[in-house]
Amino acid sequence: MTTHATGTATTAAATGTAAAGAATATTAADGDAATAAAEAALAPLPLPDAFTAHARTRPNAPALLWHERTVSYGELAALADAERERLAALDLAPGEPVGLLAVKSPEAVALVLACLMERRPFLLPSPQLAPALLAALFAQAGARRLLTPRGQDTPALPALAHAAPRPTLAAGTSFMLTTSGSTDLPKIVPLAQGAVDRFTAWAHDTFDLGPGRVVANYAPLNFDLALLDVWATLAAGGTCLLIDPAHALNARHLLAELTHHRPHVMQAVPLAWALLLQAAGTTALDSVEHAAFTGDAIDARTLAALPALLPAARLYNIYGCTETNDSFLHRLDRLDAAAALPVPIGRPLPGVRTLIATPDGTPLDGPGSGELYVSTPFQAAGYLDRSRDTGRFTTQPEGAGAGRRWFRTGDLVTRDEHGRVHLTGRSDFQVKVRGVAVNTAEIERVLLTHPEVLEAAVAAASDPLTGKRLHAAVQRTPGSTLNTLTLREHLARNLPRAAVPEKLAIHDEPLPKTATGKIDRKAVLPTP
Amino acid sequence: MSNITQIKRFLIEEFLPDVTPEQLADDHDLLSDGVIDSLGVLKLIAWVEDHFSLPVDDTDLDPNNFRSVAAIDAFITERRAAASATVGG
Repeated sequence: MTTHATGTATTAAATGTAAAGAATATTAADGDAATAAAEAALAPLPLPDAFTAHARTRPNAPALLWHERTVSYGELAALADAERERLAALDLAPGEPVGLLAVKSPEAVALVLACLMERRPFLLPSPQLAPALLAALFAQAGARRLLTPRGQDTPALPALAHAAPRPTLAAGTSFMLTTSGSTDLPKIVPLAQGAVDRFTAWAHDTFDLGPGRVVANYAPLNFDLALLDVWATLAAGGTCLLIDPAHALNARHLLAELTHHRPHVMQAVPLAWALLLQAAGTTALDSVEHAAFTGDAIDARTLAALPALLPAARLYNIYGCTETNDSFLHRLDRLDAAAALPVPIGRPLPGVRTLIATPDGTPLDGPGSGELYVSTPFQAAGYLDRSRDTGRFTTQPEGAGAGRRWFRTGDLVTRDEHGRVHLTGRSDFQVKVRGVAVNTAEIERVLLTHPEVLEAAVAAASDPLTGKRLHAAVQRTPGSTLNTLTLREHLARNLPRAAVPEKLAIHDEPLPKTATGKIDRKAVLPTP
Repeated sequence: MSNITQIKRFLIEEFLPDVTPEQLADDHDLLSDGVIDSLGVLKLIAWVEDHFSLPVDDTDLDPNNFRSVAAIDAFITERRAAASATVGG
């Protein structure tokens, strides 16, 4: 794996950043091909070919579990073949992407598989986005034609006033995912099939997703987490338990699905684990061997309760971005699952290069703090709209190894003397309150260390007097009598005065969530 | 009603709507954890002046006089004594 990544980096070095997007990606793909030839035995089979091989050799093996239904590899391949015909009937130009508006279902999985088999690039946005936003995204991707899975209604999207120019996609583009886009139009992240295949190979190596294994998929299909839960599992020949997004917030349903289907592997946002714990009582999910949380900081109470819920599981904190896919993995010691928060993000995955840049832009050697840059074998070459690469995909900082393409994560981290990396905040969550720089993510983490806090969100509102005014909201544990006074004391003990939010709201209900299940920080602010 | 009770009632109404008087300790540091910020101190002074009919001089504007319920109570008691001493003298 390491050699593989080095090969990619060397090619990127030769190409440089000045090259046009398509040229960079093509050259990188050639580099991959050369490396793959050198390591023929190690090169992962492309996902659609691996899936087809399973369907041919083990047609009766279960591929998907969906409510009471089991879909075998053979049945799924037949569904995908039917979708390939629908795709062919669209009469798309070579390399022209198709837009998928797919709510999770076996039919949606078949539709994505059809695109993969046809080597047809596809944009897979969250179907929950506003119609106008979806229309803008499809236009930006150059997807003139939309497909929805069989059995799902086709929504009407508004026509755009101006047809967007067709972007040039790099050869080998498969999935086009979107960033969560909390502030503006989500960015489109095109992934090369090779990058996806390197990732699914890592996931299978690490968690064993092959025949006989059941992997629970909680995330929506458009979420990058599905690359592991769904796509790596189908590449490896395992069985994917699809949790219906329509019932994803129903804790009892989730628990029933897991106790019935007994998955070996489950990855989910902390919210899902917290939900499960609510419903579980003394029930243990003893089938789970690998349990990962990712996408958000986990709270102390959920973390402390996981070992009892998952008595046979290794626990992991996974760190990744849509742009780079997973880049860090931390395996927790079960005995101190309740120990220090926040949980470290751990060490880089094989082939992943990381760099911590100090505020003056120089790379850090050894322990210390700074902003995290990563370069992974799984990453996108850039955003589809290359004008949005600026400051994100970069060869900076200086001295980081000439030409290597780095992704600037925006995450502030500390590396300890053991080489483990800890998240400390977001560079873009830095705000000034009365002239003092404070980090709202750090305040959230301190709130979550309080034993009676389940969820926390902090947001800053502009204030003519103080620069920024901080608003915090928390959900307290059931039966808790936590009040603002005790919560303030807790904050004041752990944070500088300026970082103690002016407004604290304590709720018994969960905080509002975004479409991807993360806490909606904007909802914390008073409505203007 | 003692000063303490009145001070607590004001602080709770104004700054701590979800807290009961029993939960607010007399020596709780109101400034260090931001229950009262600089604007809050001004509000508090205005209330002390108005409610206890006590003029607060610029020289009294030491935040430590308003750091806790006990400190506010002590300040009021002391200013009252000083005021009656002046009147009496």
